[in-house]
Amino acid sequence: MIGVGARGAVGQAEVPAGTSERRFEHGGWTGIDLATLDREAEAPHWIAISLVPGVGPVGFARLLRRFGNARNAWAAGPALLETLPRVPEDAAPALARLRREGAGRVASRVAAATRRSGGQILTALDADYPAALSAADPRPPVLYLAGDPASMARPCVAIVGTRRASGYGRSCAAEIAEELARAGVTIVSGLAIGIDAQAHLAAVEAGGLSVAVLPSPLDRIYPPRHRELAARLVATGGALISELAPGAAPGKPDFARRNRIIAALARGVVVVEAPDRSGALLTAAAAIDYGREVFAVPGPIDAIGSRGCNRLIADHQATIVTSAAALLHRIGAQPGSQPVSVTSLSDAEAMVLHRLLQRPASIEELIGQTDMSTGPLAGTLTLLEARGLVESYGGATFHPTLAARRIGRPVGLDR
Amino acid sequence: MRPATHHQDLRLPSKVVRVLAETLSASIMGVEGLPVRVEVDVAFGLPALTIVGLAGSQVQEARERVRSALRNSGFEVPARRITINLSPADLPKDGTGYDLPIAVGILAASGQLREVERLRDTALVGELGLDGAVRPVPGTMALAAASFAAGIPSLIVSGGAMGEAATVAGLRVHGAASLGDAVAHLAGVRDLAVAEPFLVRSDATARRGPDLAEVAGQALARRGLEIALAGHHNLALCGPPGIGKTLLLRCAADLAPPLEDDEAIEVSRIYSVAGLLDRRSPLLRARPFRAPHHTISTQALVGGGPRVRPGEASLAHRGILLLDETLQFRSDALDALREPLEGGSVTIARVDGALTMPARFTLLAAFNPCPCGWRGSRQRACICEDATARRYLARLSGPLRDRIDLWVTMAQPASVTAGRSDGVEPSEAVAARIRRAWRRQLRRQGMANADLPPGVLDAAHGFSAAADGILAQRGRRFRMSPRRMHRASRVARTIADLAGEDEVGREHIDEALSYRGAVDA
Repeated sequence: MIGVGARGAVGQAEVPAGTSERRFEHGGWTGIDLATLDREAEAPHWIAISLVPGVGPVGFARLLRRFGNARNAWAAGPALLETLPRVPEDAAPALARLRREGAGRVASRVAAATRRSGGQILTALDADYPAALSAADPRPPVLYLAGDPASMARPCVAIVGTRRASGYGRSCAAEIAEELARAGVTIVSGLAIGIDAQAHLAAVEAGGLSVAVLPSPLDRIYPPRHRELAARLVATGGALISELAPGAAPGKPDFARRNRIIAALARGVVVVEAPDRSGALLTAAAAIDYGREVFAVPGPIDAIGSRGCNRLIADHQATIVTSAAALLHRIGAQPGSQPVSVTSLSDAEAMVLHRLLQRPASIEELIGQTDMSTGPLAGTLTLLEARGLVESYGGATFHPTLAARRIGRPVGLDR
Repeated sequence: MRPATHHQDLRLPSKVVRVLAETLSASIMGVEGLPVRVEVDVAFGLPALTIVGLAGSQVQEARERVRSALRNSGFEVPARRITINLSPADLPKDGTGYDLPIAVGILAASGQLREVERLRDTALVGELGLDGAVRPVPGTMALAAASFAAGIPSLIVSGGAMGEAATVAGLRVHGAASLGDAVAHLAGVRDLAVAEPFLVRSDATARRGPDLAEVAGQALARRGLEIALAGHHNLALCGPPGIGKTLLLRCAADLAPPLEDDEAIEVSRIYSVAGLLDRRSPLLRARPFRAPHHTISTQALVGGGPRVRPGEASLAHRGILLLDETLQFRSDALDALREPLEGGSVTIARVDGALTMPARFTLLAAFNPCPCGWRGSRQRACICEDATARRYLARLSGPLRDRIDLWVTMAQPASVTAGRSDGVEPSEAVAARIRRAWRRQLRRQGMANADLPPGVLDAAHGFSAAADGILAQRGRRFRMSPRRMHRASRVARTIADLAGEDEVGREHIDEALSYRGAVDA
């Protein structure tokens, strides 16, 4: 077998043939000195090779080790496929097609498509390539990015969770994202419905930065309903990144690869709300793999949506999050200052807010705790919501916001 | 054959002055009556009885009923060529109400009824039995109104339909038990009794549904229902199964104020056409409450069919249309509700033109958040795929969603005490508040707040510029469309009316906005 012999020749003697794929992957990019590679000459070949079906981060790293650089690998033609851990059926014809087109032309075509969708191409050779990703070994060779790469140069924390978020989950995601964003931390998530979207939204609304790692190419935002949110992330100084080239044939969203990038980009991963089998738990597993700290927000023990989180905590795989402020402290960031407009509240409004600060509640429960009737109570909650002190997150339960917690004490509601 | 003698034969025994006669009647188009002229021509030729003028099968069968009724009432059926034309001849006609005018027309044309003065100002509506008995027909109320509106001061109907017809003020209604009685009256031989003018009575209506006191907790949904019924706003309740959505909405029947006098006549006419009127008390007093099952066809929901009949939407006119398990209804049926929700009427296209029927109802919708019902519940896992759940809610199309003014998300009470039913208001107390708010609306603007056309709700209606400003500010904050804000202003007006306030205040607007529904994320 030529492949095995060649592998040995690149100096992987410590990895004998037949070793598990998992350990081989951890070999990753070690021994490859990117500084010796000529960026100008390499980049088109990196891009072209990354488009070959079956070439992922693992396969690309193997190619580099075997051929020394991408140019040589490209020149090897169909032989390069033999190095891949897995060769899909359409790999050979696709490679032939790309080679007929030529690496230079392929690269400029993809670059044009990327520009059209408002992005740029980053190879691992580029200075702007997020440094944190080197921890994800093997790292993705080529990334497509829209927005400001500097947003990822700041400390990043990922906030992930279920798509079927409860009001509690949304409230926690919003509060943690807001607190971290104000402290200058970039909030990383996956743009999914539920916890992800809530975290992105709270970060940009607090004036912070947020980065979305897409499971789809830049020109096909997934889920489509978050196109507007994605544009907002870019407009507010954040970024969108994807491992998939724009302009390619539509494929399935790749959640597993997205989750690994999220875990690698962030200094810590906060799992806000996750049921037993949740993609967020895969992100947490990847984060543990990469040596990132994993945090989990506990939930009620009878809440199905929080079982995954509670188990992470019980199994000592995650640090329990007791408050947004405690999380901030643990990460080592300083709380940001924020303008809190202390709005004057009527007695009734202050009383309702006070109750909610003690425990989020539905109107039903508030009626039992106050002597207000339903109508005025509903109106008071709307007013508090309009002032940004209370949020219902689409459910029947009202949660105080971070702003409400801030003014909670100064206003002195303890009567 | 001696045609000449034959001619003589006809003229001599009956002394026919005219062989052509006209009687007046009326037809139903949708829920409206339409005056119809019945022309009868008796001519020479082979004995035959032909009915023309787009007469449907029920009218065609009148030939046999009329023949027997005439004979059994002691009259003759002339052995001539009889042609009957129902004019206007280009409108399709159906029903059995033409039996009586056709029979009388034949008698007049054949000279058996010589005195025709009364025929000129009397309309006739009634089905004939083979023995000559006159029987009531559906839609009598609408027919009576139409013939009176066409300038015909008198009407002969069956004795059983007198009460219904007498609800048309000013119309002289005679009840005939048989064809013979009707002819005797027209001939001036023996006058028929005149129906007593119908007096609109406000009689107490029987209880129709459960009492609010039976509903445990769910204060917000109760309040939403109160507002919906007070101002005729559309309400949607979303929540897991078994939480009390159906029970609560079924209370609506007894919470809505009774129909006003003019509404009662309008609504009763629709029920008369549908054949659903109780002839002993022909005027409906209770506000309609219709709760069709979700398997209903589009035609049954909005009306239509070969013979156009009012659908549930029209039967709920001026009342309540409850769609329990709204999302289980056929999507084309739900879509068909867009038109009545927007314009208060249903238009049915037919080969021969379009028909419009009134359908201005308050929509009460109730549904689960997903097919399994447990999405968003803390206690039980939802087993639906995300896409399935989204598609499920998408059955309520955007335009329909836009026309729902009040949204209430219901959740299981977290504690036992929150679900306790002691101390909750019974239906009677809430109904009294709704009645007062309804009176205020009638006094101020003569219609429900929800029906106020755009641009009308201004300072003169207690909605000041300041209130407008607050609403606009909140609308921006909550990213509401102009339509939603427009509808919220009507809801706020109703909340102020329930509180007995002339001016809409900030607190009323805030409460109105608390039913604005979730922006899905």
